[in-house]
Amino acid sequence: MTRKRSITPYTFLLPALVVLGIFVVYPIIAVIYYSFTDYDIATPPVWVGLDNYTKLLGDETFRLALVHSFVYLLVTPILIFLSIVLAIVVNRRMRGIHIFRALYFVPAVSGSIAIGLAWKWLFDRNGLINSVLLSWNIIDTPIQWLATPALVLPIAMLLTTWAGVGFYSVIFLAGLQNIPEELYDAALIDGCTNFQKHRYVSLPGLRPQIVFVTVISSLAALKVFDEIYVLTNRTGGILDSGVTMVFYLWKEAFQLNNAGYASAIAIALLAITLVFSIFNVRILESREEGVA
Amino acid sequence: MSTAGMAQIAEPVAVIQAHRRRPRRAAIVSSGLWYVVLITVAVITVFPFFWMLMTSLKGPGDPVYSIPPQFIPTDPSLGAYQRVLAALPIPTYFLNSLIVAVSVGALNVLVAAMAAYPLAKMRFFGRDAIFYALLATLIVPAQLTYIPSFVLSVNVFHYYNTLAALIFPNLVSAFNIFLLRQAFRSVPNDLIDAARVDGAGEWRIWWSILLPIVRPSLAAVAIFTFVTSWNDFLWPSLMLHTKDGLTLPVGLAALQSFFQSDFRSIAAGVTITVVPILLFFILVQRYFVKGLAGAVKG
Repeated sequence: MTRKRSITPYTFLLPALVVLGIFVVYPIIAVIYYSFTDYDIATPPVWVGLDNYTKLLGDETFRLALVHSFVYLLVTPILIFLSIVLAIVVNRRMRGIHIFRALYFVPAVSGSIAIGLAWKWLFDRNGLINSVLLSWNIIDTPIQWLATPALVLPIAMLLTTWAGVGFYSVIFLAGLQNIPEELYDAALIDGCTNFQKHRYVSLPGLRPQIVFVTVISSLAALKVFDEIYVLTNRTGGILDSGVTMVFYLWKEAFQLNNAGYASAIAIALLAITLVFSIFNVRILESREEGVA
Repeated sequence: MSTAGMAQIAEPVAVIQAHRRRPRRAAIVSSGLWYVVLITVAVITVFPFFWMLMTSLKGPGDPVYSIPPQFIPTDPSLGAYQRVLAALPIPTYFLNSLIVAVSVGALNVLVAAMAAYPLAKMRFFGRDAIFYALLATLIVPAQLTYIPSFVLSVNVFHYYNTLAALIFPNLVSAFNIFLLRQAFRSVPNDLIDAARVDGAGEWRIWWSILLPIVRPSLAAVAIFTFVTSWNDFLWPSLMLHTKDGLTLPVGLAALQSFFQSDFRSIAAGVTITVVPILLFFILVQRYFVKGLAGAVKG
């Protein structure tokens, strides 16, 4: 360890702290200030006190965005379940298994706009899904998938799940490969079925990965934007059926020039994210104590 | 050890061996079933891309929408690609994306590796406070900072509508600092102490001892950051508004409004943008997967 009084550690840290100071810390302070102002970015902000927040409380679209963002969190448990199953499936020595693992990763690297457009084309009124359903006589008239308010969010969530499973299963696969083989042998001797083997050996062994994926994927779900932007043609969907917190923030700030009001939305998003993170950590920690 | 004891041990061993060496036919049937599962998942994963590719290759004689659907073009044509390339400067977008993603990837490695060294291997006043402050920035959604960052870009840094606007705010992420801090911690202190005894300065130790040892982690950070930056959409779409100045995802979104219902062209645009990043992924897949796996161990 180095001498205690030296500026060297700080010089190493300086560039990172400057960048994060300007582009993370300052913006948080500024956004708190803007949230108390009427601001359109072009002209200087005007102090309006709590006006934005009182408006927020009565705003039906905001309430909808809040609900949608919470509904979107359902993606997290689904993703975790499917990713663990997929990791178990690909965790075996078979010819060509590496090719399959790589294929499953493709949606995660392709970019949200590209895969969003691909999905939009599948679910278009003149898209493949309608074409298949019509030719199998399952439906008689084409379904307007993305113009049906009740379907916009589920389709976006399906897209997020489809794109994420391969990505997260790589994390779980690495976790599975760290579980000692002897534990599975012991389970076998105790007469465990295949299902029990995974329930009592794989699942506890994957704890760190489950914690990590829960945190990462739920934060991602709270911030979803790209999928909604593409699938709804940047409108947020009929009757705001696809509007999430970040989408609403973007729309108010950069489409409608209400940066002050959007800042209040941003503060609400920050508050929810903070509460949610604390909640996450608490639950996961208490579970850890339970296991130990 | 008594024979009874041996028998007790032999029995579980037999169970395990019986499980591991299953009869040949059963093994073939079971591996056949696994392949069915693997292929089914692969089809679900790849199908939207396949459908895009096929749509993009359909010529004037092939319907993009019909009942039943037509999968393989009978009148294949590259016309859609020509229309896309004529309408939008895709090669320029590609170059813009490359400049941004390479800069962001390389600079992240540099800045994060610098910050990670003292956090992993030095004792100094405020270390834990700085560490937890960095941890906290991970929780803050990036979109929350976009309004002030937008104001900064116009009023202070004057890089609105330039690629610099995509590089500077993304010079470092706390996540990368953690990843590299983790990697540095695994380097034995003896190695660093020995270098200090030999009179090496901290910068020298960092550059010639630590960095070479953690090279795989540096590669993982570089690749991850590259791909994230390459696919980033919201912030670039706020910053870039000139026809020649876009990155690929922003250009692709513009393409959607440009071609409206010309699905062949939109599909061609998607295919053009997906292919380069897929090729890149195939090349660096190993590092990608290792980095992802290593990120969770801490």
